[in-house]
Amino acid sequence: MSEDFNDNKTIQAQSSETISGGGGSGLSPDKDYVRPAEISEQDLYHGHSFITKWVFCQDAKVIGVQYFLLATFTGIIGLILSWLMRLQLGFPELAGFMTAEHYYQFVTMHGMIMVVYFLTALFLGGFGNFLIPLMVGARDMVFPYLNMVSFWMFFVAVGVLLASFFVPGGPTGSGWTLYPPQAILEGTPGSGYGIMLMCISLILFVAGFTMGGLNYLITVLQARTRGMTLMRMPLTVWGIFTATVLAMLAFPALLVGALMMSLDNVLGTSFFMPTILKAGEVLEYGGGSPILFQHLFWFFGHPEVYIVALPAFGIISDLISVHARKNIFGYRMMVWAIVGIGALSFFVWAHHMYVSGMNPWFGFFFATTTLIIAVPTAMKVYNWILTLWRGNIRLNTVMLWCLGFIVTFVNGGITGIFLGNVSVDVPLSDTYFVIAHFHMVMGIAPLMVIMGAVYHWFPLVSGRLLDEKLGKWHFWLTFLGAYSIYFPMHYLGFIGVPRRYFEMYDSPYMTSAVGMNEFISIAAFIVGAAQLILMYNIIKTLKVGKPAGHNPWKACSLEWLTPSVPPEHGNWGDKLPIVHRWAYDFSVPGAKEDFITQTTPPSEVANTEVEKT
Amino acid sequence: MHAGIIFFLVILGSVLFHIFTPWYWTDVASNWGGMDDTITLTFWIGGGVFIAVCLFMVYCVFKFSYKEDRKAEYKPEDKKLERILTWATTLGVAALLAPGLIIWNQYVNVPKNAIEIDVMAWQWGWQYRLPGEDGKLGTTKVVNINDDNPFGINLDDPYGNDDVMIQSDVINLENNRPVKILLRSVDVLHNWYVPQFRAKMDAVPGIVTYYWFEPNKVGEFEVLCAEYCGVGHYAMRGGVEVQDKQDYDNWLQQQETFSDLIAKQEILETSKTKLAKK
Amino acid sequence: MSDPKIEGYVLKPGFRGMAEDTGSDQTMFKGVHWGKAMMWIFLLSDTFIFSCFLISYMKGRGSTLIDWPNASEVFGLHVFGVEVPLLLIAIMTFVLITSSGTMALAVKYGYEKNRKMCGWLILATAIGGLTFVGMQAFEWSKLIHEGVRPWENPFGAPQFGSFFFMITGFHGTHVSIGVIFLFIYAYKTFKGHYDEGKRGWFTSMKGDYVEIEILGLYWHFVDLVWVFIFAFFYLW
Ligand code: HEM
Ligand SMILES: [Cu+2]
Ligand SMILES: [Cu+2]
Repeated sequence: MSEDFNDNKTIQAQSSETISGGGGSGLSPDKDYVRPAEISEQDLYHGHSFITKWVFCQDAKVIGVQYFLLATFTGIIGLILSWLMRLQLGFPELAGFMTAEHYYQFVTMHGMIMVVYFLTALFLGGFGNFLIPLMVGARDMVFPYLNMVSFWMFFVAVGVLLASFFVPGGPTGSGWTLYPPQAILEGTPGSGYGIMLMCISLILFVAGFTMGGLNYLITVLQARTRGMTLMRMPLTVWGIFTATVLAMLAFPALLVGALMMSLDNVLGTSFFMPTILKAGEVLEYGGGSPILFQHLFWFFGHPEVYIVALPAFGIISDLISVHARKNIFGYRMMVWAIVGIGALSFFVWAHHMYVSGMNPWFGFFFATTTLIIAVPTAMKVYNWILTLWRGNIRLNTVMLWCLGFIVTFVNGGITGIFLGNVSVDVPLSDTYFVIAHFHMVMGIAPLMVIMGAVYHWFPLVSGRLLDEKLGKWHFWLTFLGAYSIYFPMHYLGFIGVPRRYFEMYDSPYMTSAVGMNEFISIAAFIVGAAQLILMYNIIKTLKVGKPAGHNPWKACSLEWLTPSVPPEHGNWGDKLPIVHRWAYDFSVPGAKEDFITQTTPPSEVANTEVEKT
Repeated sequence: MHAGIIFFLVILGSVLFHIFTPWYWTDVASNWGGMDDTITLTFWIGGGVFIAVCLFMVYCVFKFSYKEDRKAEYKPEDKKLERILTWATTLGVAALLAPGLIIWNQYVNVPKNAIEIDVMAWQWGWQYRLPGEDGKLGTTKVVNINDDNPFGINLDDPYGNDDVMIQSDVINLENNRPVKILLRSVDVLHNWYVPQFRAKMDAVPGIVTYYWFEPNKVGEFEVLCAEYCGVGHYAMRGGVEVQDKQDYDNWLQQQETFSDLIAKQEILETSKTKLAKK
Repeated sequence: MSDPKIEGYVLKPGFRGMAEDTGSDQTMFKGVHWGKAMMWIFLLSDTFIFSCFLISYMKGRGSTLIDWPNASEVFGLHVFGVEVPLLLIAIMTFVLITSSGTMALAVKYGYEKNRKMCGWLILATAIGGLTFVGMQAFEWSKLIHEGVRPWENPFGAPQFGSFFFMITGFHGTHVSIGVIFLFIYAYKTFKGHYDEGKRGWFTSMKGDYVEIEILGLYWHFVDLVWVFIFAFFYLW
């Protein structure tokens, strides 16, 4: 077995060698000096067979791609479900095959898939695995084996989730919030097996995620390369790191909620079940509290929103900075904003419960904390646009996604202020205004980031550049389409149309919205179909795309500085990189080029105005 | 350059849509006009920020798009600017929060003279109960509910006897008289929501929740269930008829009380036994 | 273990030192093994799980309609014709806490490379844990015998049974997993895997005595949680 491992002794000697004239030696202090390595070389398992190399693979980059592909696959299922729902809402006469049961099952699966199995898995499992080791200069995640298990747990979780489509009663139709008592009572589709499988799948997801999450955290905390301080990390890493911390602390609540609900369902305990009269009979339940579940769910659910948003914030900051050829404005503020938002996000959960029947006095507290979060969030937005100011903006596809993100995110952020402000939430909560709000802010905006990131990092993953022309078509169709889905939808909410309505044309004032619903549905079909452009682009690029070469975007951060593109297992060849600066030294006055990579030693850029960071 | 133009048109389109939209909220028919005002205020401040940020972005796209010979500015931080922006945002947010909290304070404090209405929800329907002469509702229990006692009133509670029972999904309300809606559910979550009144609250099985409003427009309104409650959710409607005092009192006269119901039941019972004897 | 020496870096004590470590490159917790850092963070996450359970318990106990049973009666034990409240539980707690002590000693001997002592102490810890689980099984069967079920409870609120079985069950699972690992580690210690740096079965990581300390952290945590469960269920 041992030949599968690095001969770690020899490499170790190399990477802990000190650069000439080290600190204590008493000679003139060398300004390129970086402390020697504290940690010995990581001992990596190199697979030989197909199975160990590509299936049960321990290389974080491959695991990242696996996560990415599986998450995208579930995301496509979520997208197809949304098409079916939009068909029902826009053209009910064409959706004769759909019953209310189907509709509610689709709503539920769509919501849960998109939030948990698509976005969370994709940002943390996908981008996290691929980028963290590269960006902090590690050879791999610290526990590659655990990392591999993490992905396969996710795989099983997805399998269980999808299996629920085929069990008697079908998948659960309880809404993605899974509120009891309704979730486990007849009258809701899938109240038997469906909800059971959902709970099991979530528990598996949490377990699998915990394994991955521990990896991300320890890699960032304990396995950075020489010279890589926390305040030199790209914001992408900061975003994913903070999101992982949130996940580690928020998922427990989901786990406990799911477990207790399973027990209510299977054993007949009454954690969440009060006395219930159903079809003239009093059920065997009694004394439980439905609102307790809501607290558990949202203690997970709100941080979950930021688990999706923070990596998006981080990634977008890097993309904007690289393509505007300008350092991210107010880096330190950005870091503190990410950390601050993360911390505050644990104190706002009950803003989803203003009209849930909880003690109304909580409203004051949670409205205040919620609006406080708006401040760091707004700061981030300002810093993004200030980064554009006096930049040298490449208007390529990546930048377009960034701009699209800013528009949709600001739009969704502003409507968040409506909903966070208790008494304004009262008329709007549980209406289409909410649907429009969260799709804009945590559906479309993160999607823009994902797309931007795909165009940005695809050359690193595959060594080829995606086609710009197709990319622009993809962007404009997606952006304009998605905006025209969700912008008008807010006004449905103003009319008072409640969410989760299978049909709504029997009320006089809702009939006025028929035209709008048709329009929205058509836009939704176009947006969905537009994603085929990306798939075509990827396939085409893999075959005949332009080779990207090293560092095609002229970025400063480490992931572009690997000896081979795409990077190999172990990332750095036989010598780990040494970091001398932050990841944003673009357009430094006096420098030869408009970027200085993180590994450039100070002596090479002696006469420039590099800030000491 | 066209990218900037399209983004500009998107912003412009949003503003125009907002101004000319035929879809907007229904005329408010309760005292909660303040909620509308707060929304309008939020629209002004929030919309202003949205427009400002996006136009700034569009401007940058026009002004600073890539030129080979230009070099971007190098300026990692600007403490002063950041401080100004932080405080300005904080101020704006506070300006929105204050009216929100003031109205919420009214929302949770029910006026003394409000008439209490028991709204009972189940999958999938509504029914209502009003206090009788004594002005108090009798206490209830889910397990008491049966055909003879549709509201599950505790028989030993003297307040319950004169309660007015409305076994219909439409309730009448008196114009300009505050009502306190007491919500309960016998099975799952529901939410009694009339868009024109703006107010809503979930009905939670096991506890009684409440909210209040004062209708101020005579007319008929539709009640929607606004909390997902199973497959019948979208069809779970009810109605409200707001009337002037005169009409309302007339209507109230004709409603049955709990003791009426019991009496009726007893007559039925005795006639049944009589029949059986014969 | 104590005061790692790091080339080119001066470790400072106190808050200053902490801030400096945070601001430094490579690692935030200087000289801390990856696995150990991981265990700490995992335990933090696990703390949230148990907190959610216990907070739910408080809320559930607060909102039931039927009275909560009297703990000292339900958990009483008939010994020699006398009703002794909380007897079993006192023994259980004692055993578990003692096993924490033996675990700590095992870690100490591990770092001293005293293979024999270390192995025996781990074994002792494992047996302590096993005893605990056994007594818990006894208590469960006693309660079940008396008619307590997750969904019903002859002594009062049915939620008592639900929470009791769920939370002690969840904790018991933690203990059982710990016991399994303790046995494996005892075997590995006796075999000398940690001395030779032999690779593990699954993870193929090289063996090191620090693993025993990591398992020790877990074990102490499980004990600590028990103290809370004890207080919440038996003393409240
Ligand atoms: C173009 C793509 C999408 C379309 C057309 C779409 C459409 C819909 C529709 C029609 C509903 C049901 C509304 C209702 O009846 O209440 C819905 C619900 C939802 N969507 Fe999407 N969606 C899309 C993308 C996303 C994304 C990317 C996310 C990720 C955050 C997402 C998250 C949700 C959630 C959480 C719900 C609520 C489910 C529930 O009420 O239980 N959607 N979506
Ligand atoms: Cu939230
Ligand atoms: Cu409903």
